[in-house]
Amino acid sequence: MNKGNFEPKIIGFFCKWCTSAAADLAGTSRKKYPANVIPIRFFCSSRIDPQHILHAFKSGADGVLIGGCHFGDCHYQDGNYKTARRVALLHNLLKEMGIDVKRLRLEWISAAEGEKFTKVIKEFTEEIKKLGSLKRNSV
Amino acid sequence: MKKIGVFICHCGINIAKTVDVEALTEEIKKYPGIVHVENYKYMCSDPGQNLVVNAIKEKHLDAVVVAACSPTLHENTFRNTSERGGLNRYVCEMANIREHCSWVHDDREIGSKKALQIIKTIIEKVRYDEPLEPIFVDVTKRALVIGGGIAGIQAALDIANAGVETILVEKSPSIGGHMIQLSETFPTLDCSQCIMTPKMVEVAQNDKIKLLTYSEVEEISGSVGNFNVKVKQKSPFIDWEKCNGCGECELVCPVSTDNEFECNLTTRKAIYRPFPQAVPNRYTISKLGQAPCRIACPAGVNVQGYIALIRAGKYKEALELEREANPFASVCGRVCNHPCESDCVRCEVDEPIAIASLKRFIADVGSYPLEQRKTTGERIAVIGAGPGGLSCAYFLAKRNYQVTVYEAEKVTGGMLVLGIPEFRLPRDSVQADIDYIKSFGVEVKNGVKVGETVTIEDLRKNFRALFLATGAYEEMKLNVEGEDLNGVIHCLDFLKKVNIDEKVTLGKKVAVIGGGNAAVDAARVAKRLGSDVAILYRRSRREMPANAWEVDEAEKEGIKIEFLVAPTKVFGTNKVQEIECIRMELGTPDASGRRRPIPIEHSEFKIPVDNIILAISQRPRTDWLPSEFERTKWGTLVVDPDTLETTVKGVYGGGDLVSGPATVIEAVAAGKMAAEAIDANIRGIKIERKEYHKGRPAPEELKRKEKIPRSKMPKLKQDKRKGFDEVELGLDENTVKKEVERCLNCAICCECFQCDKVCEPNAIAHDLDDKILEFDVGAIVVATGFDLYSPDKLKEYGYGSIPDVITSLQFERLLSASGPTTGDVKRISDGKVPKRVVFIQCAGSRDKENHLEYCSKICCMYTAKHALLYKHRVPDGEPIIFYIDVRTAGKGYEEFYNRVTDEGTIYIRGKVSKVYQDNGRIIVLGADTLSGKQVEVEADMVVLALGMVPKQESEDLVRRLKIQCDANEFLTEAHPKLRPVESQTAGIFLAGAAQGPKDIPEVVAQASGAASKAIAILTQKEITFEPTIAGVDEDLCSGCSICVGVCPYNARELDKEKMIVKVIESLCQGCGSCSAACPSGAAQQRNLIDRQIEEMVVTALGEK
Repeated sequence: MNKGNFEPKIIGFFCKWCTSAAADLAGTSRKKYPANVIPIRFFCSSRIDPQHILHAFKSGADGVLIGGCHFGDCHYQDGNYKTARRVALLHNLLKEMGIDVKRLRLEWISAAEGEKFTKVIKEFTEEIKKLGSLKRNSV
Repeated sequence: MKKIGVFICHCGINIAKTVDVEALTEEIKKYPGIVHVENYKYMCSDPGQNLVVNAIKEKHLDAVVVAACSPTLHENTFRNTSERGGLNRYVCEMANIREHCSWVHDDREIGSKKALQIIKTIIEKVRYDEPLEPIFVDVTKRALVIGGGIAGIQAALDIANAGVETILVEKSPSIGGHMIQLSETFPTLDCSQCIMTPKMVEVAQNDKIKLLTYSEVEEISGSVGNFNVKVKQKSPFIDWEKCNGCGECELVCPVSTDNEFECNLTTRKAIYRPFPQAVPNRYTISKLGQAPCRIACPAGVNVQGYIALIRAGKYKEALELEREANPFASVCGRVCNHPCESDCVRCEVDEPIAIASLKRFIADVGSYPLEQRKTTGERIAVIGAGPGGLSCAYFLAKRNYQVTVYEAEKVTGGMLVLGIPEFRLPRDSVQADIDYIKSFGVEVKNGVKVGETVTIEDLRKNFRALFLATGAYEEMKLNVEGEDLNGVIHCLDFLKKVNIDEKVTLGKKVAVIGGGNAAVDAARVAKRLGSDVAILYRRSRREMPANAWEVDEAEKEGIKIEFLVAPTKVFGTNKVQEIECIRMELGTPDASGRRRPIPIEHSEFKIPVDNIILAISQRPRTDWLPSEFERTKWGTLVVDPDTLETTVKGVYGGGDLVSGPATVIEAVAAGKMAAEAIDANIRGIKIERKEYHKGRPAPEELKRKEKIPRSKMPKLKQDKRKGFDEVELGLDENTVKKEVERCLNCAICCECFQCDKVCEPNAIAHDLDDKILEFDVGAIVVATGFDLYSPDKLKEYGYGSIPDVITSLQFERLLSASGPTTGDVKRISDGKVPKRVVFIQCAGSRDKENHLEYCSKICCMYTAKHALLYKHRVPDGEPIIFYIDVRTAGKGYEEFYNRVTDEGTIYIRGKVSKVYQDNGRIIVLGADTLSGKQVEVEADMVVLALGMVPKQESEDLVRRLKIQCDANEFLTEAHPKLRPVESQTAGIFLAGAAQGPKDIPEVVAQASGAASKAIAILTQKEITFEPTIAGVDEDLCSGCSICVGVCPYNARELDKEKMIVKVIESLCQGCGSCSAACPSGAAQQRNLIDRQIEEMVVTALGEK
């Protein structure tokens, strides 16, 4: 595939209180970013089961972006700590599976950080473009 | 299959511009299970909502997707709509194709494609959504308002007046916030105090309001309707039930500190009421713990306390306070090694306070008649009348014990009178302290040698307890050949003979061996007896254990000190003639931490001497004690470190007998500790030793302190040092007065207890602890207010370095009739009336690059007010305002601005680049952008119109509340237009400047708004909860309980009989972390089950 025209498919798992609200703020502020990320909203990032992420990669995702609240800001006390631990473990597993760990990114984006949300989306999309399509037959 | 209807909103052109709504409609129609698709210009409008209602009814829809804006905005709207159509509200979902799509993409093709993906994804969700019933929960009818400024006051009054019990928590000792600090308010010029104080009183008098000032919210749990809060009520160290606000305490308090209410323009006392109209009208003591000097003192002498009392001129009270912890004021004022001075925080500024010299001053300055007391309690015997024994006797006698002190010598005082020479410690100084101790009824029997005249056993029979403090008098030997020759004498023998006026003759040349205080004392005595003296010490000056200042004096007096030499042999026939020494070098540190001296081979040399005084070290003699007393390998007595009790019950030991040779203050500390232990043992109580927090000013505060040199102790001239006159002459009163001003009042309150003495209702409670109060509340209003932007960040405007550059709030205090100048505008530097005042607007605000990006909204108006009020106070004064724009949006504001300009205020449009001082004049350098010129204005005073920032200390609270802040740390409202007083967390409401800069009328309106929102919850019997919580598939659950551990709310518990986990629905908040953790898929969040997520993922990726 010609990497220049490659448009990656990315799943965004965002918590309702922080990152999804940041996405709302980016929208309200009319920030522009690439359209590759399709957002799925959770109450808390700690609802995200590592299996959902693996399922996404299996189902055609070239990248998965998880967005939660900053440490100390979690609406459910410490859900984001659980997410951080799960993602760290999953990174190890991805390596074993031959998936570049850069394809799974975890970001803390608060409701006030519309700017950061935009930046992260741009960066991540670029990153995945560089990595190219995830070759599932090798996985 | 579910029959699903999809409703796509154009949102005017907000969506339709980037998303081809018509094409989308056609595309969705083809999607499985979709029975109805429709688009409309404004789906949220009444006709739009009716489309949804009608379609549900006509097409018998099972589920609805509304593709429009963010669910945060309209989820509730459309769920209500669905209910009106007869559908369960939880099978209605929103697809956000505005914020997450049309607004962030420009390309119509891309936007349309993404919108389709988003909608399809939500369709997959709704396909598996179950109809759910809301959970009903009872509401606790009680509100919590955090913050006692005008916002919190208004909210609390409104809620209370609606008949709901309200708890108002305020961090400082009084409510009132910033508004009570203001002079007049714009644009009507109402006196702020006059309109604020009645409101404050109303709070105090309202039965429904529980006012908790000087309190902070520590913990919050639960959710809307049922929050649980823990409030820490900080100790004011005064029983507020008893305090009547009379203010007598404030008059006698000797400690002054910065007055926060007056923006540090004046000082206040450590015991204070923030301002006369404070509510509650109660006093508070600022106490940071104990000062480092006090903690450093082995006997715990309240140094800061007596220094404060000296400053207040209360010398007698100062001495009394000293003697509370140490009866040897006169002695310790002279010979203490003062560890307090080493820990003095003033060292970080310049030099430590001359604490010992001040102590000596209060001991010397007045002789106060002693009242002879008699004691009647149990009998205690003390063996040894040195500082340790006498201190123990003193502290016991003060507790009414009958104490007899047995002393082998004819004189009382031990080492104080036998060891320390008179030129350092005159006998009458020691006697003064001994007389004081004796006045408490202590009896001293001299010439009684315990072990000979009476035995320990006799004493044990006749006394309830014994304290052994016989000191360390046995001299150590040098262990070199010839040390028994005539003319080799022991230091203590020598000093003792001189001290009790026995004739001692020395030869011309005297060598003193040793480096401790005893060696230096002996050398100085020998010098006074007419000999040439050299001290031989085996290590270097650094390692010398003698007090450095005494070593200096010895050298000044002409005593030679040879460092790094050790004697190896003494020569002489009959009498000593020569001493052979070897040079040393320092090796690695030994057990004491000092570097070990090592002899240098073949470096021996001889010194001719007539006498050698050996001052190596001493150790205690314990051969007079029975064997049941255990000893250490160094020959000291073994005692329990907590009680000082020896291995024989009822017999205690302390001082040099236990520690080996040590200092006076350590002996005093031991005596005091033993007295406490003896008393506790007799009364059958346990001693509780409190750990004290070290109180001290912050390092940045110290940077602002002016350097003032430490007072020097005047000394006897060298040519007068022939006899035994005291060398240190003592500080005079004027020097003392200057020296005490250097004290930093580290712990603020010094615990001198002067307040306690004058408080008629007995309200002072220096040991009162903080209290934790717990409440259940149904709703919370957060009104934590603002701070001014820190002027320290505006270095270019000279704040802090130029005294007459002040903040807007300081100027407000200068204008206030209740302020430090009673409303006269005067300069801080010289009290003169400023004839030209320059006001700098936007000081910190509207400066994206360097400071705050936002407009603080109130500064234009308050600066206009300042200029007008200044003009009223100083009619010939010239107010000049530098501004970027003048923003006067508000009722009557533009009219007010016109009045200000009409009455003679000059407005210059431009920013100020710099404020500096030139020859004492303040120069303001700025631009006039209307004329395009640079302007230089000379000013008598400069006022910085500082911007508003959220209260710094409220950051932690915001985290505990789990509410959101914007990029500037102001609290975020649920919707900027439509839900301005609600936080994103249900049941928590926002009021006042904590949410953003605003003026008083706006704050009050918002507070009432927040109150009415709270009332709406609190007056309901029960409220509904989202049912999208976690459940358990009992068939799948194995009872592994992993989910129990991850649940942050303790909402899951194992049913041990069935071995399955149950959910406590009222506790579950629906985060879903259990669902992610469950290994068997038994834990599933309702309407967000694994299957749904998987289908949504596949769809989002366009694989469906």
